[in-house]
Amino acid sequence: MEIKIRKDIVKTDYLIIGGGVAGLQSAITAAALGVDVLIAEKADTRRSGSGCGGNDHYMCYIPECHGDDFQKVLSEIGEGMEGGPWQDPAMLKKMMLRTKSIVERWESYGINMKPTGEYRFEGHTMPDRQCYHLKYDGHNQKMCLTKEARKNGAKIMNKVFINDILTNDEGRAVGAIGFSLAEDEPEIIVFQAKAVLVATAQAMRMYPNVNPAFIFNTHSCPAAAGGAAIAYRAGAKLVNIDVPYRHAGVKGFARSGKATWFGVLSDINGDSISPFTDKPDRKRGDAMMDIYPGIFGDRLESAQGPTYMNCTSYTEEDHAYQHQQFQCEGIDSITDYLDQRGIDLHKSMIEFGTYDYSLAQRGIDIDLNAGTNVPGIYAAGICCGNVRGNITSASVWGDIAAESVAEYVKTIPEYDVSKHPLIQQRADFYNELMNRQNGAQWLEANSSLQVIMNDYIGLKVRSEDMMRAGIKYLADLKSYAKKEIGCEDAHQLMRTMELFDLIDLAEAVAITSRNRKESRGMHKRIDYTFTNPLLNNKFQTIRKTPDGEVILEWRNKVK
Amino acid sequence: MPPVIDKEKCVDCGTCAQICPLDVIRYAKDENGKKHVVVKYPYECWHCRACVKDCPKDAITMRYPLSHMMFAMEIPEEKKN
Repeated sequence: MEIKIRKDIVKTDYLIIGGGVAGLQSAITAAALGVDVLIAEKADTRRSGSGCGGNDHYMCYIPECHGDDFQKVLSEIGEGMEGGPWQDPAMLKKMMLRTKSIVERWESYGINMKPTGEYRFEGHTMPDRQCYHLKYDGHNQKMCLTKEARKNGAKIMNKVFINDILTNDEGRAVGAIGFSLAEDEPEIIVFQAKAVLVATAQAMRMYPNVNPAFIFNTHSCPAAAGGAAIAYRAGAKLVNIDVPYRHAGVKGFARSGKATWFGVLSDINGDSISPFTDKPDRKRGDAMMDIYPGIFGDRLESAQGPTYMNCTSYTEEDHAYQHQQFQCEGIDSITDYLDQRGIDLHKSMIEFGTYDYSLAQRGIDIDLNAGTNVPGIYAAGICCGNVRGNITSASVWGDIAAESVAEYVKTIPEYDVSKHPLIQQRADFYNELMNRQNGAQWLEANSSLQVIMNDYIGLKVRSEDMMRAGIKYLADLKSYAKKEIGCEDAHQLMRTMELFDLIDLAEAVAITSRNRKESRGMHKRIDYTFTNPLLNNKFQTIRKTPDGEVILEWRNKVK
Repeated sequence: MPPVIDKEKCVDCGTCAQICPLDVIRYAKDENGKKHVVVKYPYECWHCRACVKDCPKDAITMRYPLSHMMFAMEIPEEKKN
């Protein structure tokens, strides 16, 4: 068979890759500013992305609730879950100042930001600190954002996987190439655009998870697989991907949303192990998980014992409240599971675990306008590497990107992409994959990718020899996978191209980790055990030139 | 298979296949050209329950695989409320 290429090039001024919270917010704002905007989403924007089922916490600064001391706000946030050294302080500042406006707009879109009738802040908070996480009901947020985007005139193409950004000889973004998943037979679609937003999620499935045999049991939506690689291949810088971050939550049934639980972290006897609390605290939660998500793994590995979320001393009202909040957060599969298996939180504690490394908030390096080093490529959301803030970050930087793009597209002429060489290259490769009989399965290669990353570019300890071997094995894996994988339908072709995205990112993780010749945070080198003060306040970036040369650089944090 | 579709209730409207974030459920044609929903890639299910929630006929339930078991521990008797 020969894969069809859609005859008409899809033309738009602003192409958004990924219709999650970042992509939809950007589309809403851009369309309101009169920009011709199109979202390409591989699933359906009503139910896709990290916020697919909902959210219950939105980190924000509302002066009438938090006071006018903005420095205090930044300092307290800087020490909580969304803090830490791996973000540009200037980005955090700009982000927080825009949050009130987003909260008000979301309310107007039909998302219930005040379920109790007023702004209420809960969770993710250490004792004696203000709460900055607005407790809201986001169960319908993706529907509301989708509706608002369409109302403003944004176009949405669902079931379209974007594989690559097209750049021209000057090195600016001029379009993209992808394919439709609507039918079993893929159809290649070429896009012509003046600006592109990469608004994909974090890379899941690069490291083994709680049960390595089941690759989709991940804490965040496993549909997200390395979209940052799209920007990287087009020349955009990635940042901070050498410093691992690990999330935590329910152990066997991996799921983000740990702060929706407000019980006490306890040992097997039901005794608190938290320095912050020994009784359930609905207002603050147990911030231990935020500042030390590795605690679960560390306690298991040292045989101190399993660590449990203990809700057994909740009041009946607490139980009902948490049950309802799971729906707002979109993690009601947890309660459905507990009901089906007859597990009663009045009597039983649930073990929590530390999860795999997932490139959450490690990725594309963006500036204060949500732009990258490549003209015409913008990025927003959890695929960015120098901002934190999860859904807050997604909505704010999507919004900022839209404003930047509205100005940028006025200055850019149309560029005809119909003869772009990447179109034929991609088509040839898809045809090879789709026509290969008795080929390897993409899953086989994804499994090996996880073994290589775990064993050689691991989370426990790293060294020159280990990473040198890992880089060699990744190259071998990529080469074998290109020559051997076969796909039967559009779905498998998508998973295969996601795999190649993951391998590209894995190589970048390995190269930057090898180049960080020190130990810092979770990057532990057995051959460089010290922390080099000369690298304080510096971020490492990696990019590829059009010739494929890898450039590693260090830059100062933007204060 | 994680999403279990009750074929007695299902009207093959395709909603679940359209909204599934993981493309687990496909809307495929049979030999007569009629479209049916099929749980084609069950091992890629993330149990988000979008299909359960959005099914207009309440025809879908979740089966949670044993590979995803939660680890629960009863607290000692004397600590119970």
